[in-house]
Amino acid sequence: MVALALAGCNGGTVDRHALTNDAATIDSINCEAWLLSGAVARNRVTTYYAREQAEELAVQAGNFADALAHRPTAANLEPRVRAKAKDASRLASRLWRLHDRPTDRDGARALAATFKQAGSCS
Amino acid sequence: MSKILGVALGILAAIGGFVDIGDLVFNTAAGATFGYQLMWVLPIGVLGIIVYSEMCGRVAAASGKAVFDAVRERTGFAAGLSALIASELVNLLTLAAEIGGVAIALQLLSGLPYRVLLVLAITGVALVIWVVQLETIERIFGYGGLCMLVFAVAAVKLGPDWTQFGKGFIPHVSQNSPWLYLYFVIGLLGAAMTPYEVYFYSSGGVEDRWTPKDLGLNRANAIIGYSLGGLLSVALMVVGAAVFLRHGINPEHLGTIPLGAEQPLGKVGLLFAIVGILFAVGGASIDTVFSGAYNLAQFLGWEWGRYRSAAGAPRFFLTWIVLLVCALGIVMTGVDPVMLTEYAVIFSAVALPLTYIPILLVANDREYMGASTNGPLANTLGIIYLVVIAVVAVAAVPLMIITNVGQN
Repeated sequence: MVALALAGCNGGTVDRHALTNDAATIDSINCEAWLLSGAVARNRVTTYYAREQAEELAVQAGNFADALAHRPTAANLEPRVRAKAKDASRLASRLWRLHDRPTDRDGARALAATFKQAGSCS
Repeated sequence: MSKILGVALGILAAIGGFVDIGDLVFNTAAGATFGYQLMWVLPIGVLGIIVYSEMCGRVAAASGKAVFDAVRERTGFAAGLSALIASELVNLLTLAAEIGGVAIALQLLSGLPYRVLLVLAITGVALVIWVVQLETIERIFGYGGLCMLVFAVAAVKLGPDWTQFGKGFIPHVSQNSPWLYLYFVIGLLGAAMTPYEVYFYSSGGVEDRWTPKDLGLNRANAIIGYSLGGLLSVALMVVGAAVFLRHGINPEHLGTIPLGAEQPLGKVGLLFAIVGILFAVGGASIDTVFSGAYNLAQFLGWEWGRYRSAAGAPRFFLTWIVLLVCALGIVMTGVDPVMLTEYAVIFSAVALPLTYIPILLVANDREYMGASTNGPLANTLGIIYLVVIAVVAVAAVPLMIITNVGQN
């Protein structure tokens, strides 16, 4: 129980280390969204898979957006943290768009380019 | 000829049944985080599970006793009870994670709500256990799990850097994020040597009435089945490195893993991967629930057995039903199955010595084993692995805390 509690303590003040980690996770979600939407655009995934995986990622991005918007932040990092919150929020809404239209190949192609750029994916 | 065919079919089922949710999560994440650097851990883990599965299979064949019979007899009630509680808790966590994995795979195939699928998954597992003969269950899930071979095809088709791949088999410690690297070492060993596999294996040997004449079959199953199954772990790590690391993705969801097969193989690859995961975690959930029921029944001296009717072994039957209900309760809270898997694997690493020390003791007891007592090779390997798992057990929780469950 102590181990679980200690390992789970990550909801405190956002410092530089936490911001770096969160930014990396948001980039990771962007890059996965890029692969997913690219696969939708080329008709290489099933509709159910695209919808469910987009939802999973959208929820994760939304949680990040909420947390970064409301968690206490080291004073000098406040603008960067809030900017990341907005990035995460935009990512979540794009993913919800993919979730809502998992068969829209043209829309997915456009989203893929956006995800790739936002996550600096290679 | 029919015996050879039987062995071949058993090995095929063992390959398909080798990978569980712990292997899926840790192998893919290790590849996505450290590329091929952790390849060397896989043969160590696979050899460990071979050594101890062969040993406990031999104990079952020579003495007719399964692991927890031996634990109770060799370590006494108090120490045995500690081992029982630890193993039951880890089993329950693992079972909950596997059931969550089944529901996620079904959701990716059907689009139905997750919680509805959790209930369907539990009901399905209970019905299968109740209605279908165990040999048939093993074959169905083992052969279905062979769909996981799609990851081996994907790994080859992705064209990994074979030089880096080869270098990965040379043991070393990464200078980059060493704590996280060590956390993955522990996780990979814990996932490969997870205790429920030996509980299930040895109890199966007792139920199948193995005798010393079956020692060859036991050895073939353990060595060939686990070795070939271990190749799937290698393939998952390659896919993790070649797809997810390359594109900067940390695969935090079970549903991310099939994308690794989609990239080189398209929609067919994706479907094979999801179906493979479904059968792999479905089969593992059955193994896990049986292991939990075996352990309790063997420790308390109840009637037990998959081949007995509910009336013949009522407390054994009640135990696996209660375990399924408890697992359902855990996953219905909404806890993430991947996170649950990480905790299950790390805590199973802590519990490893409690499982393996009694096996080694019994395998050296001439009263139990007669002519099948451990030889020098089995003892040397057994003791080396005891040292390894003792280190793993001590380091597991501190590393989990330091790395924030692998998040840092």
